[in-house]
Amino acid sequence: MGSGKRGDYMGDDDRMAQFAQIPTSFGHELRACLRCRLVKTYDQFRESGCENCPFLEMDKEHDNVVNCTTPNFTGIISVMDPSRSWAARWLRIGRFIPGCYTLAVSEELPEEYQTVCADNNVQYVPPKRS
Amino acid sequence: MARNRRHDDDDDEEYEEEEEEEEEEEEEVVRRGKGAGGRKRGRSDFIDDTALEDDEDEEDEEDDDDEDFGRGGGGGGGGRGKKRRSGSEFFELEAAVDSDEGEEDDEEGEDDFINDAGADLPDEEEGRRLHRPSILMGEDQEDVDEIERQVYERYAKSSHVEYGDDATEVEQQALLPSVKDPKLWMVKCAIGHERETAICLMQKFIDRADLQIKSAIALDHLKNYIYVEAEKEAHVKEACKGLRNIYSSAKIMLVPIKEMTDVLSVESKSVDLARDTWVRMKIGIYKGDLAKVVDVDNVRQRVTVKLIPRVDLQTLANKLEGRDIGKKKTFVPPPRFFNIDEAREMRIRVERRRDRDSGEYFEMVDGLMFKDGFLYKTVSFKSISSQNIQPTFDELEKFRKPGDDVNGDVASLSTLFANRKKGHFMKGDAVIVVRGDLKNLEGWVEKVEEDTVHIRPKMPDLPKTLAFNEKELCKYFKPGDHVKVVSGVQEGATGMVVKVEGHVLIILSDTTKEHIRVFADHVVESSEITTGVTRIGDYELHDLVMLDNMSFGVIIRVESEAFQVLKGVPDRPEVVLIKLREIKSKIDRRTNAKDRSNNIVSVKDVVRVIEGPCKGKQGPVEHIHKGILFIYDRHHLEHAGFICAKAQSCVVVGGSNRGHGMNGVDALDSRFGGLRSSSNVLQSPRRLPPRGPPTNFGGRFGGGRFGGGRGHDSLVGRCIKIKSGPFKGYRGRVKEITSGFVRVELDSQMKIVTVKRDEISDTPGAATPFRESRFASGSETPMHPSRTPLHPIQTPMRDPSATPIHDGMRTPLRNRAWAPMSPPSAEPNLHFSRGSRNFAIIRSFVKIFHIATISL
Repeated sequence: MGSGKRGDYMGDDDRMAQFAQIPTSFGHELRACLRCRLVKTYDQFRESGCENCPFLEMDKEHDNVVNCTTPNFTGIISVMDPSRSWAARWLRIGRFIPGCYTLAVSEELPEEYQTVCADNNVQYVPPKRS
Repeated sequence: MARNRRHDDDDDEEYEEEEEEEEEEEEEVVRRGKGAGGRKRGRSDFIDDTALEDDEDEEDEEDDDDEDFGRGGGGGGGGRGKKRRSGSEFFELEAAVDSDEGEEDDEEGEDDFINDAGADLPDEEEGRRLHRPSILMGEDQEDVDEIERQVYERYAKSSHVEYGDDATEVEQQALLPSVKDPKLWMVKCAIGHERETAICLMQKFIDRADLQIKSAIALDHLKNYIYVEAEKEAHVKEACKGLRNIYSSAKIMLVPIKEMTDVLSVESKSVDLARDTWVRMKIGIYKGDLAKVVDVDNVRQRVTVKLIPRVDLQTLANKLEGRDIGKKKTFVPPPRFFNIDEAREMRIRVERRRDRDSGEYFEMVDGLMFKDGFLYKTVSFKSISSQNIQPTFDELEKFRKPGDDVNGDVASLSTLFANRKKGHFMKGDAVIVVRGDLKNLEGWVEKVEEDTVHIRPKMPDLPKTLAFNEKELCKYFKPGDHVKVVSGVQEGATGMVVKVEGHVLIILSDTTKEHIRVFADHVVESSEITTGVTRIGDYELHDLVMLDNMSFGVIIRVESEAFQVLKGVPDRPEVVLIKLREIKSKIDRRTNAKDRSNNIVSVKDVVRVIEGPCKGKQGPVEHIHKGILFIYDRHHLEHAGFICAKAQSCVVVGGSNRGHGMNGVDALDSRFGGLRSSSNVLQSPRRLPPRGPPTNFGGRFGGGRFGGGRGHDSLVGRCIKIKSGPFKGYRGRVKEITSGFVRVELDSQMKIVTVKRDEISDTPGAATPFRESRFASGSETPMHPSRTPLHPIQTPMRDPSATPIHDGMRTPLRNRAWAPMSPPSAEPNLHFSRGSRNFAIIRSFVKIFHIATISL
């Protein structure tokens, strides 16, 4: 997916679509999606939902944003090349689109959303609790 | 076919280069997948791909791709044929034959995959790839685009499924970084801006095409640095150029492979704050204070806690009235419960308001909420620490105001137990169940496991062992058990249990004879009796020490890091806790004081207090300083038996003996009433720890007055022999002991010498006749020691009352029959133990009468 060399082949649009939105601020509005750990601001989630988890329908329902994202997260990793990045692989975000993710979230996805994930054939891995 | 295949293998390999650029990611991904155990994966690829794609062309191409994945699988497919047709001269047309054999190819692909040896030659491929990028690209662009798109789609659809497989099948172990993976580089950046830097790098990557880093990591707990993942350091440098937050001079450090996973491992802190848990404040004036959680608001990440208020009512009043006294932030008020009446006295407006969130009534003062004396404060999660909170006993006591019911206490203590360290039950401990259905059941611990404890219950009808959770049990002690405290403030103390109050035991300490309160948790049964610490540094128990500010006192108790000192204030007992460094020095000077009757008091004299709060107490003087006496009275219960009194408020009692000699003194006293002086003198022949001559009357004898030693009474008065030094070989009697030195009165000379402690040796039974030390008093004949301790003195000695003398005198006078010669010898015998003066008088009398009788 979007490596530098491919720039020649793909149109810019294609490339832009392949990236998640980048958080526009760094304060308390930052939230992390509980399933894919994508980090954006509350407003960005509200606007365009989560690019990796469209089935959570955050852009449609305000409540979904509150329930499926959390401001409690640790560390930020900007993944430019998930397929090639070892760190992304280790964190199991190697299949998601490039964007800013967090290393760990503190909460689990609520039950009802877990079933939504299952319905969509999507795997959800709860955060490790040591 | 085989031949073709072989050809095709070669072709495949050659052809690889072309496709590789476009498909390197997929290949590499699959390669990795293969490495992980992905034969299955590879196959699933095949299955998925063939299943999903409908178009024959695409199918062919997929076959090609599959074959490529197989890396050497099957003959060239149609797609390849197409490509060949489009102009790449390197490929043989023969291969076109195989284009339709999709299925076979698959199988072949699989076979070849099994036999594949090409997987070991990535470098070669890459090398070859580099040779001809330009040629191939131009020609095959469109097709390549198409292929790309298809590959992307394929990936897009299968991503979810594959991700699932990924997570469940592939273990974390398999994802460990290898040499083929990009490396992690550590880059210094502006402190506090780590996240910003990572996100800026993301933005830069989007804006520019040629950023070659793979990811950027900003850790919360690592300030000043970010990690960048890239193949080469040059890539990192390039990426960081132009960023405001990264210093251009910043060194880029490589992270060793073994440490790569540690970078990404996160310590997951479970933020479970429940009601009634104990936490500690991390910021503000309540920093470090214990607090109890009252309400948790997860949405806003805030928690309401209950604290003991630290408000300075004065400053508060001033502030509210508008009087600005300036910032006195350095002063932290001590914790104290809030009292509405006190506040009202200071004219602070206290309002009784209802808090909208909780619905309860609070007293509001200046924005602070109080209830029952506690301050209720709402703070964010970040400003409290909830891990490993071990409230000390004192803190809990303070929290438990009188009026709280015991149940509440137990509940709060039970949350305390949740935090207490595990595994403190031992086999044989007596325990009691505190929670659950079997509450109040007693038993003994049989076995301790990770979280469960097996006990043997006391009740006869129950099964042999019952298992309980650690949290449901509590150690149990009965009054009369001898225990030792093993943790907490009172660690090390031993004593006997006197009372049991729920979880709290009251123990009578062996050393200090005081009651101490401890948690049952902190105590084990033991028969050990500790003697306690008696000295820290240079200072020992019962030392007289000089404190900083011209005050002095006696150490009455030695605690773990400090001393309890009874200060030299005679009227009221004042005890202070002093640290080691606050003691200036030890006072060792032997001073004397005068008592009420103007008698000289020195150390070891027994005195009685006749004035002041300790009136009637009696005991030997341990220390004297500046006219203040420190008396030790065994019967006095406070301050380890020490009494501080002015010398003027005491009178010397009896002799200069300590407690056990008191009996003898009393006896003497009773015999001779006020003839104190004589009795004192008469003591000297006794074998009791002989002291110097009594010094409490004016006509004292010269010659040393000897202050008592410092607690080494066993040595004082002993006959010793000097082993070394200039006085080697001399025998003597120990008069006094100071630190390290001993003053010895030599037997042979009329001298007291100072020798070192270790230069003397005990010589028991040195039967030197006791020398009356009052040699200056003029008695020329040494008096033989009368071995009987209480030698009843027939007649008082230097009594001016001439009664004995009279009697003695009269007899010979009346009796003419007395031979003139005999009186001189008879009479002196009677008065033998008297002083010389008497002797002289008697003699002169005798002479006169003798002459008189003769003349008659």
